[in-house]
Amino acid sequence: MSLSEFLSMGGYGFYVWGSYLVSLIAIGAELISLSRRKKALAHQPKPKPVIRGSITNETTS
Amino acid sequence: MNLYKYAAPVNFYPLAGKLIPWFAIPAAILFAVGLYVGFFVAPTDFQQGDAYRIMFIHVPAAWMGMFLYVLLACYAAIGWAFNARLASMMASSIATTGAMFTFISLVTGAFWGKPTWGTWWVWDARMTSTLILLFLYAGFISLQASIEDPRRADRAGAVLAIVGVINVPIIYFSVQWWNTLHQGATIRMLGKPSIAPSMLAAMLIMLAACWLYSVAVVLIRLRCIILEREQNAARLAEVAV
Repeated sequence: MSLSEFLSMGGYGFYVWGSYLVSLIAIGAELISLSRRKKALAHQPKPKPVIRGSITNETTS
Repeated sequence: MNLYKYAAPVNFYPLAGKLIPWFAIPAAILFAVGLYVGFFVAPTDFQQGDAYRIMFIHVPAAWMGMFLYVLLACYAAIGWAFNARLASMMASSIATTGAMFTFISLVTGAFWGKPTWGTWWVWDARMTSTLILLFLYAGFISLQASIEDPRRADRAGAVLAIVGVINVPIIYFSVQWWNTLHQGATIRMLGKPSIAPSMLAAMLIMLAACWLYSVAVVLIRLRCIILEREQNAARLAEVAV
């Protein structure tokens, strides 16, 4: 099977590759927006684990 | 080991971080294997030619859209009934990924419909109910975004999510209940599937990849939500002082 034969998908190339391209873009968009959201929180201190029943991490005013 | 301690978002945060690579790496590998089997091992269909290869992304995406909605509604209900913050955050985190898979299923369905049915879209029961699923996800996301207090947003979202669950069996059984242009199920719970084993294998591998991908992405987003809410709570505490 040649490359052009593979790409033509028996005449359905536009539909088959169109489907996979849109899926790739959708997944890529989700991953990019998620990595941006994560980066925006980079300066945020990591949450401190709490032990059940302790009040050591509670802030009292 | 006390498993209950992980119900606290700040305690679940590091555990989620450790779990992510265990899902993300196998997801990438299975996507590659699934596409290889789908394009190089599975034979050309005698009726549809190569157009049927859209199935390997279309069917797993459609299933994920439905599964994730049910999962979202379960987490939202648990978060509401038991006042469990982590479960509500999980529901919020699932919504984006579920919406994305539903979007993929609709678009790839249109790409498949054009060459096989001669139309990109018809208002058939299966397709209309799937479009409603996308609107339910969009409604859930925008409803939560519009309410500032996170716990109130969680409760409002839970009501919408639980009511919307009725749509999932409608999607699933639509091809039996109504005379639809969309074909009936190829894979059934009982009985033999009506496709070649290599086609079935490619589809199931892609489904597994989509599951693993979803878990990884939902956990990453969950960690973001935990941090954002902590940040928000800290800011409110400062204002209160």
